[in-house]
Amino acid sequence: MNSMIRKMVFLFALLLAGDVLAGWPAGALVIANRGVKEDHISVKTLKDLYTGRTSYWEGGEHVVIAVLADKTDEALSQVSGMDASQFRTFWQRLVFSGRGQEPKEAPDIATLVRVVAATRGAISLAPPDAPLQGVKVLNVE
Amino acid sequence: MHAYRFVALRCWKRMAGTLKPSILPYGGFLAVLVVASLAMFDADRTNAADWYPAGTSSPDVEFHGFASQGFLYSSQYNYLGKSSKGSFKFTEMGLNASFDPFPRTRIMVGGFADDVGEAGKYDAVLDYALAEYTISDYFGIRAGRIRRPDGIYNDIQDVDLGRTFVLLPQGIYDARYRDFNVSLDGGEFFGTLPLQQAGSLSYELYGGLMRPSLDGGVGLQLRNSLPSNAHLDTIDPMKIFGDQLWWNSPIDGLRLGASVGYISGFDYSAVIPTPVGPLHLSDPSDILLQTYSAEYLWKNWTLQSECIFTDTLTKTLGTPDVRQFSWYAAGAFRINKWLEVGSYYTEYYSNAHSPGIIPSDGFQKDAAISLRFDLTNRWIFKVEGHLIHGTGLLQDNVDNPVRHDNGWLMIAVKSTISF
Repeated sequence: MNSMIRKMVFLFALLLAGDVLAGWPAGALVIANRGVKEDHISVKTLKDLYTGRTSYWEGGEHVVIAVLADKTDEALSQVSGMDASQFRTFWQRLVFSGRGQEPKEAPDIATLVRVVAATRGAISLAPPDAPLQGVKVLNVE
Repeated sequence: MHAYRFVALRCWKRMAGTLKPSILPYGGFLAVLVVASLAMFDADRTNAADWYPAGTSSPDVEFHGFASQGFLYSSQYNYLGKSSKGSFKFTEMGLNASFDPFPRTRIMVGGFADDVGEAGKYDAVLDYALAEYTISDYFGIRAGRIRRPDGIYNDIQDVDLGRTFVLLPQGIYDARYRDFNVSLDGGEFFGTLPLQQAGSLSYELYGGLMRPSLDGGVGLQLRNSLPSNAHLDTIDPMKIFGDQLWWNSPIDGLRLGASVGYISGFDYSAVIPTPVGPLHLSDPSDILLQTYSAEYLWKNWTLQSECIFTDTLTKTLGTPDVRQFSWYAAGAFRINKWLEVGSYYTEYYSNAHSPGIIPSDGFQKDAAISLRFDLTNRWIFKVEGHLIHGTGLLQDNVDNPVRHDNGWLMIAVKSTISF
């Protein structure tokens, strides 16, 4: 009985670990403003940022999320657990209840990178071929 | 959150109330025009409106706003205004600003005005004004005027952007009573505690004072329950303490919530002139609120269900306590980036212990279907139909003198612009 329970717990943990690992979209880059002190970020922390549970970097700077407007992005969906519409609604609820600030939206990748480069505390997901002038890439753990 | 209705039930025989004319019947259209102009001005910027008060080296101030204009039509009763003839008295608008002056510190201010039926009357209110300090993900503090967390929608029930439906289930989120439900002057502790493989637990513990407006839904209903020659002088500020807990499960998109709130000292003061002198009325009570919630976001689906128990604990001898109960189940599906369809079924019971004098006033059941069109990122349009049984939520006996338990329809249309 105990061994059966141990196997079930191990299998459950494996499934959850798999779920966490599956949450990281292959190939996508995590880019951030160069003022962000962190060089690494875990998948869990990334999810906490995109769901508003973590609002500040370690140094106390406000986290500013930048996203592509109107795009059902696979990377965003996997990191946040929400599609583009749910993600926008989620953050609008926080903004208009006095509990958060809306992510910045950009119409295209080049503008998205410029927004991240120009905004203190900004973070975003970008395709591997995105131009990376002015931003840093965070290693995903 | 309809605890004040115990007054209406006890004063049911006194059919009274006068309705004050609206000052700005077309204010909603003006507000939509203003916000539309701002939205168009901002159309090719990233989003919102940013202001750098001292150059780009200073923290920027972010502005957001919205304006909503709706239309209601009821096939039989005047619900949420004089809707039996069609009513445009369904306007909401808000404007807020926020900035981060220091590390881990945020200041946010929001103003709001609405006109829903005879409640609101476009009275501009300070919706929230708070300072927030986040020590860590586990612990933070907000103080000032804050929006009260209670269930999925209480703190954003007047924000049309934040949901599929025009009308939220009214037994839990009555559009007329935002002044009673939404804000409090005080503070809260908040944070999220990790539970390792069990997900996380988000909490908000709050306390402060609630200050319902004389022109809000509570004031309206108190006047409707009093004799026509009565004058409602004050609604006393009342203390409230409570919490909202959310278990964020390890299953992506699934969360369960529980909220408890205790209101101490609900009371009002009214005067009825009589031949022998003025008669002063008051009716103190305490109120216990319990809300239980479930939400699951799965791919394009949003599934939600909630129930609320509202117990009014009267302090007047010989007056029984009153329990009200409501629940709903809702689902919404995003078909594509511009169209979402949703539906819900809800029930409301005005007194679980004893029925009202008119049987249909003891309950209201509502099946709704809704279409939400996201015309642009900043402009949405909704159309919705309701099939309703019961009259428990009408709360306007003067405009609905004859009420019975037959089915009736309601159509709701609403457009919102935001930036």
